[in-house]
Amino acid sequence: MRLRNELALLPKSPLLITETADEFDALRDAFEGEIKPQGIIEQMYVHDICSIVWEILRLRRCKVVIINSAFRSALEGVLMQLLREPGQYAHSTHLGNQAQALAHAWFTDKEAKKQVSETLSRFDLDESAIEAEAIRRSSSDLELLDRMLASLESRRNKALGCVAEYRASLAHQLRESADRIIDGKDVLRLEPASSKKPTAA
Amino acid sequence: MASHQQIAANRRNARKSTGPHSGAGKKRASRNAYRHGLRSSITSSAGFAKQLDKLVREIAGDTKDAILLERARAIAQAELELARVRRVKVALIERASAFGELDPPQAFSSVTQIIRLLNAIDRGRVPSFPEPVDSSATMPSQEPDRSAEAIRRVLPELRKLDRYERRAAAQRDRAVLFYNS
Repeated sequence: MRLRNELALLPKSPLLITETADEFDALRDAFEGEIKPQGIIEQMYVHDICSIVWEILRLRRCKVVIINSAFRSALEGVLMQLLREPGQYAHSTHLGNQAQALAHAWFTDKEAKKQVSETLSRFDLDESAIEAEAIRRSSSDLELLDRMLASLESRRNKALGCVAEYRASLAHQLRESADRIIDGKDVLRLEPASSKKPTAA
Repeated sequence: MASHQQIAANRRNARKSTGPHSGAGKKRASRNAYRHGLRSSITSSAGFAKQLDKLVREIAGDTKDAILLERARAIAQAELELARVRRVKVALIERASAFGELDPPQAFSSVTQIIRLLNAIDRGRVPSFPEPVDSSATMPSQEPDRSAEAIRRVLPELRKLDRYERRAAAQRDRAVLFYNS
């Protein structure tokens, strides 16, 4: 109950309209289950870790979509290179149309897919050549995404380290307080039982 | 130490600097206020002040110790700052998803284009105004492609915001360490 009250005080993690709050809550519950935060500061860190992981997942999804979006133009590019006859210009309209039609059909037509596979295998290539070209074409975006992912991952690790550091520092503080109490600096010293004078019967 | 002549020369040279000239430079400079806006403290907003006080109380408990309260305030302030940067990031992606880009479509992409148009008017020709490009038309209609494309289009802005986020997180971490010391 106290945990929920603390959570209400922390600013809500903003989500895109296409993302669901339930999934975010499930992720946070999983982290809370693992870290078992005590107090608002630890709760703050768990909230932070959860937001970072959520963003990492968002960017990873984006990365996949960026590569997939470049797939068609990558296929066209690879086909242009493979279908070109010796002496034919790379920018020939006929070649361009042929590659474009085949790349378009590749997504829906099994026969076209087979034809592309055959063309690739003639040059000892397979579909990974298309993927590689798609990655090459979107490399500037992927590089930026990778930097952001690396930055987020380092922050997630740091936040996890901070929870441990905070707990260690809190434990140290509590130990010191306990020592002060045991040493009797902060509390009234209790007289040893043996020094008590026996009361008259 | 600079001589009087050097100081005078520096002043003369400084007067020659009249800001950015290129379209890209002007665009970059126009974002200066926005950049500084993020650096400004959030405590100036009344809504945040209330939220801040509640968070400070939760961190510090019932203590009346002014030093402890001030340390708790530093943690809470950094935490809210972090939340603000995250909100800005999501808002930028949402805007790019809705409109295709962050800036409204421009009829002219450079000063040269405007000059050409004015010259055409001077020569008595009726110029044809270029149609502004509608960036939202080039956005994928289906999800998750649309969100991914929106993220791709605002990647440079997100990268800049990432630096603010890191700074806010580092401030919060330092404040937490200091709180327990």
